[in-house]
Amino acid sequence: MKNCFASMCWKGLRAGFVIAGMTLAWAGVAHAQSAAKTAADAAKKICAGKTITIVWEAGLQSLDPLNFSGPLWEKETGCKIKVVEVPTAEMFTKIMQDYRAGSGAYDALNVVPSWMPDLVQAGALEQLDNYVDKYGYRAELQKIAPTYRDNQMKVNGKIYGFPDDGDVFIMYYRKDIFARDDLKKAFQAKYNYPLAPPKTWKQFDEVGSFLTDNLKKEGTYGASFFREAPYAMLMFQERFRVEGGKFFDANMKATVNSPIGVRVFTEMRNENRFMPPGVEKFGFVENLATFLKGESAMTISWPPYGRFAAGYLGSEKALDWVPKSTIAGKVGYALPPGGHPQLALGFALSVATHSKNKEAAYLFIQWLNSEEISTKRVQLPYTLRDPFRDSHYTDPVYLGLWPDAKDYLAALKAASQTGLLDLSLIQTDTYEEALRQGVGRLWAGEDPKTILDDVAKQWDATTAKIGVDKQKAVYNAWAAKSGAYPK
Amino acid sequence: MRSGQRGTFRERNFKYLLVGPAIFVLLLIGVFPLVYLLMVSFQGITMTETSTDFIGFANYRQLFSDARLWQALLHTVIITAIALPIELVLGLAMAQLFLDRLPGRAIFIALLVLPVVVSPIVSGATWALLFNHRFGPINQIIGWFMGRETILLWTINPNLVYPAIITAEIWQWTPFMFLLLLAALGSVDRSQIEAAAIDGAGWWRTFFRIVLPAIAPVMTVAVLIRGLDLFRLFDIVWALTQGGPGTMTETISVFTYIKGFRQFETSYTAAVALLVIVLLSTLVMYLLRRVELAR
Repeated sequence: MKNCFASMCWKGLRAGFVIAGMTLAWAGVAHAQSAAKTAADAAKKICAGKTITIVWEAGLQSLDPLNFSGPLWEKETGCKIKVVEVPTAEMFTKIMQDYRAGSGAYDALNVVPSWMPDLVQAGALEQLDNYVDKYGYRAELQKIAPTYRDNQMKVNGKIYGFPDDGDVFIMYYRKDIFARDDLKKAFQAKYNYPLAPPKTWKQFDEVGSFLTDNLKKEGTYGASFFREAPYAMLMFQERFRVEGGKFFDANMKATVNSPIGVRVFTEMRNENRFMPPGVEKFGFVENLATFLKGESAMTISWPPYGRFAAGYLGSEKALDWVPKSTIAGKVGYALPPGGHPQLALGFALSVATHSKNKEAAYLFIQWLNSEEISTKRVQLPYTLRDPFRDSHYTDPVYLGLWPDAKDYLAALKAASQTGLLDLSLIQTDTYEEALRQGVGRLWAGEDPKTILDDVAKQWDATTAKIGVDKQKAVYNAWAAKSGAYPK
Repeated sequence: MRSGQRGTFRERNFKYLLVGPAIFVLLLIGVFPLVYLLMVSFQGITMTETSTDFIGFANYRQLFSDARLWQALLHTVIITAIALPIELVLGLAMAQLFLDRLPGRAIFIALLVLPVVVSPIVSGATWALLFNHRFGPINQIIGWFMGRETILLWTINPNLVYPAIITAEIWQWTPFMFLLLLAALGSVDRSQIEAAAIDGAGWWRTFFRIVLPAIAPVMTVAVLIRGLDLFRLFDIVWALTQGGPGTMTETISVFTYIKGFRQFETSYTAAVALLVIVLLSTLVMYLLRRVELAR
């Protein structure tokens, strides 16, 4: 009897566990599926008829909220969205000006993650933890790819933004060129290793110059990069660390002018000789046009290049300005030399401290960032938002968008796993401005060592003004992150 | 006797009552910002520090030891010293050409004046396209003359950035000089010129001894206005080079913008602005006094 009772108890308990487990699983599924719905349902109650203003990067980026997410949100919640388009270079200024003025002109914000320490310290960003807990978004936040989740969301352990753009530098190369037997044979004979996408910067130099020597008569150069100072500055940050450089020593003295820095600067300038003439002035669009027209065999850029090169634009009117790809189906994807690409800017969604509609703004960004909605957003033909959730890299619809999409997403995922964070300190822009100017002087022909000595001097002066100990604490916290320096 | 004095007092002060409100508004618009600027320059407002406490002369000490600031001033002086005389000479030459009544004169003048109407930032953006290393017509035309593709990096090459900026500046503002000097030349007493011709004076002698002195006051005003404008040069530099390469073409306005609106060093920027106001005011007063003495 006792055994029978115990057995019945155990069966009951087991059934109870199963039911509880199923309930939790159902709740988990329902919960995960409903982060977007949760936000929309809550928004219907509090912001119907209101207008939420969101700052967004001007140009192509804004097509998402203007044509897709904004109208969809309004349809689902009755809440209007007003998009304020601002050039990236002006976004920090505009956000800070609005904060300082206390005007509350902006509700939701797009912020570059490396700006977050400055914006948080100034008080411009609303802390989001309470809202995240109120609307049960923590679980879904955990599904953002770790590099972005762990490094672009929090400041001092508190959530101030939702990573919303998987920016990372990818190397794009012409598979067909690298597969040519004549080139493979000649390269092997000259350099004694096979012709392949370069894994080191030394190999890049050899492959690039070889391809230019052999293909220039066909109108193709070995490589092209965007060399305008803001972009080249990010590439320097990556290469400098990949080559073993550290931005500061233990006493917070700048070490960008170390022999590694000087070598990287010198190599960057030397590479221009096998790139198209005038490459020093190449921006995002010029470099894209060069690659899409088949005039360069390798390039490094953000993920949209891969989509544009694959011809995934369809007949999007908004993308009429993008040159038609002549290389669709011929593009391979790889990690840049060194294997640790710069995450390079990116965007996080935040709420402005002086917003008069904080909760509504929060609900909008939760909805935008949710798994359900973000999966659709990163697949828009005109989007510049790149995959940033684990599920984005394996989404069956995305995998089928073009024949090489599988390889593309695999490369993005690998890049996100080994990616390097942008330098992020107090007054990051002041440090980056010194580096941008240094790049400008490099292209103007000045001596790399002299330039970097000046950059280091400016960095030290900025550090002294901010306070060495204060900046050191911020730097050490940044350097302790897994993506700060290559492991 | 007393009512007479009161009447006189009322009459004496009534005019002040009439102009008082206008003067008050002018002072508010003109003087209050300066006073506020002065106050802010003695505070320590930065990106992260919003306290309005008095910090003494710290910003001014920083200002005098800021090499980049003085370099920006030097760049501004260089651009002014080159562009201003060229605008003056070209404007005068054009005004002389259009002095006589010719068929279609009004249309030509209207076309010549178009650059002044264009917004400076649009002008800068247009010149950026013209100077584009790959697709800009300037490099193309040079290439025709050279007989081969010519890729000049106008906004990166240290030898070309200043010519690029100065060319854009001269293109836009020479018509302004032209208009002022055309009006001045038109008001020169023709009888003096005819008398000089009768006495056998040549064109150059007539120009330097009669015409130039006659238009000197207008010329001085034109030079003063353009000089002050050149000192505030921002749009064309920003559109073409953003102060680069490095800080090679960073003018005082570009420097102030970066400090104030990129780095949010509000109080330091106020001190810089005051320095520029003091320098320019001193220069203007000196020049006006010289003109006054010359008369």
